[in-house]
Amino acid sequence: MGTQVASSTPLRHNVAPADGVVIKTDNLWKTYEMGSLAVHALSGVTFEIPRGEYVAIMGPSGSGKSTLMNLIGCLDTPTNGQYWLNGRLVSELSDDELAFIRNKEIGFVFQTFNLLSRATALHNVELPLIYNGTPAEERRTKAEEALTKVELGDRMHHKPNELSGGQRQRVAIARALVNNPSIILADEPTGNLDTATGEEIMNLLDRLQAAGNTIVLVTHEHDIAARAHRIIHIRDGKIARDERIKG
Amino acid sequence: MSVLSQAQALIGRRTRRRREHTSLWVTAREAFWIALEALRAHKLRSFLTLLGVVISTTTLIVVISIVNGMNTYIADHVANLGANVFILHQFKWATDDEEWLKERRRNLPMRIEDYEFLRDSLPGYKNVGAETQLRDAAPAIRYQGHIIEDTVFRGVTPSMINVGQEEVGYGRYLTESDYEHSTEVCFIGQDVVDQFFPNVDPLGKEILVGGNPFLVVGVAKRIGTAFGQSQDNFLEVPLTAFRKDFQARPQLAIDVQAWSADQMDELQEEARALMRARRHLSYHQDDNFGINASATIMAAWNDLTGTIFAVGIAIVAVFMVVGGIVIMNIMLAAVTERTHEIGIRKSLGARRRDILWQFVIESGVMAGTGGMIGILFAALISWVVNIWFTSAMPLSAVLIGIILSSAVGLFFGIYPASKAARLDPIEALRTEN
Repeated sequence: MGTQVASSTPLRHNVAPADGVVIKTDNLWKTYEMGSLAVHALSGVTFEIPRGEYVAIMGPSGSGKSTLMNLIGCLDTPTNGQYWLNGRLVSELSDDELAFIRNKEIGFVFQTFNLLSRATALHNVELPLIYNGTPAEERRTKAEEALTKVELGDRMHHKPNELSGGQRQRVAIARALVNNPSIILADEPTGNLDTATGEEIMNLLDRLQAAGNTIVLVTHEHDIAARAHRIIHIRDGKIARDERIKG
Repeated sequence: MSVLSQAQALIGRRTRRRREHTSLWVTAREAFWIALEALRAHKLRSFLTLLGVVISTTTLIVVISIVNGMNTYIADHVANLGANVFILHQFKWATDDEEWLKERRRNLPMRIEDYEFLRDSLPGYKNVGAETQLRDAAPAIRYQGHIIEDTVFRGVTPSMINVGQEEVGYGRYLTESDYEHSTEVCFIGQDVVDQFFPNVDPLGKEILVGGNPFLVVGVAKRIGTAFGQSQDNFLEVPLTAFRKDFQARPQLAIDVQAWSADQMDELQEEARALMRARRHLSYHQDDNFGINASATIMAAWNDLTGTIFAVGIAIVAVFMVVGGIVIMNIMLAAVTERTHEIGIRKSLGARRRDILWQFVIESGVMAGTGGMIGILFAALISWVVNIWFTSAMPLSAVLIGIILSSAVGLFFGIYPASKAARLDPIEALRTEN
C-alpha cells in the first residue's frame, strides 16, 4: 500500500524550487476557448518531482494527463500558473526558447517511436545534437555512445524499417538520452509493443533510473504505472491522488 | 529565498546561458541531401515539377549563347572599321529579314570597276581602298608542313593600310608596284607569326596559300580582340594577285575614309549618288548596294540584340514565375505530407528558423537541379544551332543559370517553409503519416 503525500502546498507565487527539485509546478491551468465556452483541461495542478525519481502520471482519457504531459515536455505553455524545470521558470518562454529547453532538458519517448523513417538509427540519435550546434565529430561520438548504452551498437546504420518495434523504441530512448536531459518523458512507451518486448523496455527504463535519470512515465495502464516509485493520479484536470508505492 | 535568486529564477538564468544553436551550414547540408533524395525517389514527378525552371533556364542560356555567337559574326564586319570609314558592299549588313530577302534578289556586288570608278570620281575623300575576303572558303594556308585554320584571307589595294586597322609592325605594307605587277607578296597578322614563325624572322619566308607561294614582306602590329574574336589572324595579298591566283572577279568591299566625322555623312551621300547614277537607278528605285558605317551598324546591332534579349528575358521571366509557383505548390504538398516529421523535429529542439531554413534550402536545391538540367539542354541546343547559325555558350551563362534558378527556388520556397515553421508541434505530432 502506499502512503499519501500532501497533494497541494499553499498558493505562493514566484517561489523557485529548492536545489534537487527537477520539476515544480504551481497551480497549473490550461484552458481552451471553444467559441464562447471555456474548457479547462487542467484546473490547478501543483506538485514537485525531485531529481532521480521515477514518477508515473496516470489517468483515463480525457483526464488531462496528455495536456499535463505537453506542459511538462515544454511543447506548450500553461494558461495560468508556473512551471519550473531544473530551476528555470519555463512557463512563460517564447517558442524559440521552449525549443531550446526541449532540446536540452527533455528526452521524449513516444508510444509510436516517432523516428525519421528515411534516416539511419545513428542519424536519428544525432538529431538533437544537430539542433544545438554540436560539431560533427562530437555528435557522432555521443550518438554512438548512446546507442551502445541501449545495446544497439551493431545496428547503428540500419533504418527504422529494418528494425523491430523494440529496437526502434530503444533508438528513441538513445535519442532521448543523447543530450543528457533533466527528465526522460515517456508517453505510453510500451503501447505499440508486445508484452515481452514491453517488458524489455521497462527494464531498460529501470536501469536508466538506477543510473540517476529522472523518469516521468505517462500511462493509463496500471501494470505499467506500477513499475514507477510514485504515481500521480489525474482526474478531470486535477490531481486526485499522489501516492508513493516504492522506496 | 533572497530577492536576487528569485529574480534570477524568474528570468531563468538567461544571462548565464550560452546560446548554442545549429549552424545554418549544417542544416543546409542536411536539407541538401534530403532534397536530392526526394528528387531521386520520384523522378517523373520531380521532372514535371521542375519543367518550368528547366525551360526558363534553357531559354535564358540559349539566348545568351546565340547573341554571344552573333557577336562573332559582327566582329568580323564591324571591328576592323577604322575611324571615319564607311564601306560600300553588296549588302547592308544590319537589316531585318524582309529587307534581306529583297537585297538578296536585287543587289549587285561591288567589282573592281566600281572601285576604280569611285577612286577616280568621288571628290574629297581622305582615302579609298578595296578589299575582298575569304574566310570559310579560304584556301589552305601552309608553311613547312603546318596549316592554320580560321585565317582571314584578303586581297587588298595598297591604300587599305590607311583605311583599315592594320599598322605595319615591321617590314613594309603592299605597294603600288606590287599591285601593278600582281606580285605574290603577303602582309600577315601577329597570330600567323605566332603559329608559323615563333622564333624566326618571318620576313622573306614563303607561305603557301592554296599551293601558291607568297613572300612575307611585312608583319602587322598586334591589334587585339573584338567581341571575343582575335583580329590578328589574317593574311593579305595584293588584290591583283588575288585575282590572278584565286578569283578573277571577286566581290569587293570598298572602304572610303573621310577627313572627319562631320564630313562622313556628306561623303556617304556623294558616294551613294555616284553609285546610283552609275547603276542607272531611277528616283523611286531603292539602292542595289549597301553603304555601311560602323555607327549605323552598331546602332542596328544594339537594336537587334536588345530585341532578342528583351524577348528572351520575357520568356524566361514568365517560365520562371510559372516554374516557381509549381515548386511552391509541390513544397506545400511536401509540408503537408511531412507534418508529422516536422513535429518530431520540433519536439527535439528545432526552432522555427531551423524548419524554415530546411525547407527553403530544399526548395532552392530542387530548383537549382532544374537549372542544371536546363543548362544541359541548353548546351545540346547550342551545339545543334551552331551547325546552321552561330552559338557559343559562355561560362558566365552557366553561372547565371544556376544562381537564377536556385534563387527562384529559394524565393518561392519561403511561403511553404514559413507554413512549416509555424506548425504547432503538438498538432503536428498527432498527425498520422
